Amino acid sequence: MGESNRGDILTVSNLHHTYLQGTPLAQPALFGVNLVIPAGSCVAIIGHTGSGKSTLIQHFNGLLRPQMGEVVVNGARLSNPQVDIRAIRQQVGLVFQNPEDQIFERLVGDDIAYGPLKQGIPLSEVVQRAKWAMGVVGLDFDEMKNRSTFAMSGGEKRKVALAGVLVLRPQILVLDEPTAGLDPRSRRDLLRRIRDLNRSEGLTVVFVSHNMEEVAYLADTVYVLAAGHIAFHGTPRELFGALDERPDLQVGAPPGVEILRALHSRGYHVDTTRFTVPEVAEEVAAAASGQRGPAAAAEPPSGDLSAPPTAWEGPAHRREPDGRHPHAHAEDRGDAHGR
Amino acid sequence: MAGDFELTRNITIGQYLPTGSVIHRMDPRLKLLAAALWILSISLCHTYLGNVAGLCVCLALFALARIPLSYGLSGLKPAIPFILILAILQLLFYGNGYGPSGQVYFHWGILRITSASVRVVVVSTLRFVEIIFAVSVLTLSTSITELTHGVEGLLRPLGRMKVPVHAFALIVTIAVRFVPTFAMEMEKMMKAQASRGAEFGTGSWWNIARRTRDVFPLIIPLFNTALVRAEELALAMEARGYVPGQARTAYRRYRAGGRDIVMFLAGMALSAALVFAPFPF
Repeated sequence: MGESNRGDILTVSNLHHTYLQGTPLAQPALFGVNLVIPAGSCVAIIGHTGSGKSTLIQHFNGLLRPQMGEVVVNGARLSNPQVDIRAIRQQVGLVFQNPEDQIFERLVGDDIAYGPLKQGIPLSEVVQRAKWAMGVVGLDFDEMKNRSTFAMSGGEKRKVALAGVLVLRPQILVLDEPTAGLDPRSRRDLLRRIRDLNRSEGLTVVFVSHNMEEVAYLADTVYVLAAGHIAFHGTPRELFGALDERPDLQVGAPPGVEILRALHSRGYHVDTTRFTVPEVAEEVAAAASGQRGPAAAAEPPSGDLSAPPTAWEGPAHRREPDGRHPHAHAEDRGDAHGR
Repeated sequence: MAGDFELTRNITIGQYLPTGSVIHRMDPRLKLLAAALWILSISLCHTYLGNVAGLCVCLALFALARIPLSYGLSGLKPAIPFILILAILQLLFYGNGYGPSGQVYFHWGILRITSASVRVVVVSTLRFVEIIFAVSVLTLSTSITELTHGVEGLLRPLGRMKVPVHAFALIVTIAVRFVPTFAMEMEKMMKAQASRGAEFGTGSWWNIARRTRDVFPLIIPLFNTALVRAEELALAMEARGYVPGQARTAYRRYRAGGRDIVMFLAGMALSAALVFAPFPF
């Protein structure tokens, strides 16, 4: 795509990885992966189970070191054994799948403060950070800090775990299937907060997902990983537009795109390259009014994620690859989740 | 540093490496019995030469099972600290209580090193290695299902005395089956906690309080998931019709053939030789 190297916060070049190297069970997982993450962007990594997504993201904060190839974070080469790995892990906050499993303290506040306290950051500063992190994920500091971690709902636990990483004040947030296993409401709430983090706080976000709706909602760049190498790289628009020519990617389209395609195949003149919920709504409305079609065809999509349509309200056109987002995002509709 | 978190790499117990060798195809009951006898005879053998011979047999078993020796060695790695500590304690204190006989090499205060304590140290270290090798070959060449059937088959006579043989076999199976699972879980937990600033094994070894605190973020979540997992397993078994104590048929029946018996007799002969052969030293 020809990006310049100036604004890249993380680059991966020709990365190879083999699990259990040097044993009879050696299993290659990555073959020459190249990937660039510009500062402030929101990058989705998608691919089948076993395609190497988790292996790849574990290289981002040095949990796995490059066996071959290179990972550069903010100019630091991770193949260098002398690199300050604690500093890297502070800059790249990695949130694992089902991160609520990693909560171990009795009180919410203690668990969130664990990382910075471990780094020797003074308590007053830690409290400030914890306040910020809890605010960002939507947990009220004064109310939640002394709550028991084991008496929380799944969605709340996940927020606590997320805050426990954000409290390190990373520059890049890496999330492995952040919404897996959450109920639709918590999922929507979490996605909106991740998006706010990216758009308003300027945090670079990388996330792994199987859900194309999430990709359409959040990402400005998509990498498709297949059998340990990058099979596709581009914007969501490019990806969803290329699905017909690239059945090998085995990527499904978001429901909105499916709807536009269905309309298209029935003779409606809709633009099938549009994919966000507001865009799709616009197309559907145009088709319903312009065409003399049956009214049923104009009903808005009702996938589980888009149940209250307002929750998915987003900018109609957001294609700023550098993440400078003109959209002010004033739709803070109070906090649906706080009590 | 590269293999920092690859815990599963060093755990050979509970792993199965199918190579289809004669050892793999042996009847599990006889294999288990032969292994038990062999380990017993290793524990009874207290000569230098006998243990060297035992070690050679163990190495030959790896070759016979077509399992790379590197596997056995990596299984040995986590045991090295224990072997070393045991060896040092025996070397320093054994001479006092149990081995006053023999030549005294060194004596200072309560420390006394004699030829007998040196023998104990060398022999017990060798024994340790031999037993780990033997157990590694056994588990690497026997799938969990076979192992359960083996244990159950061997213990069946006890069933007549109202010993819950099947339940016992099941407990053993589940325990062994979940060793790699928990290793993987531990690995994931270590990575997750390291990602938020935890460090493991960086404190000085004498700072026991700190090192203990360091593992809380691992142990507590691990216990949690283990309990959840146990509950899920129980439910899954019941959902598939498992009733404790009920008679069960097996999908696969094992019948010891001529080759199994020959191999078992060979194992018995080796075990007997190790115990009764007059090794000169």
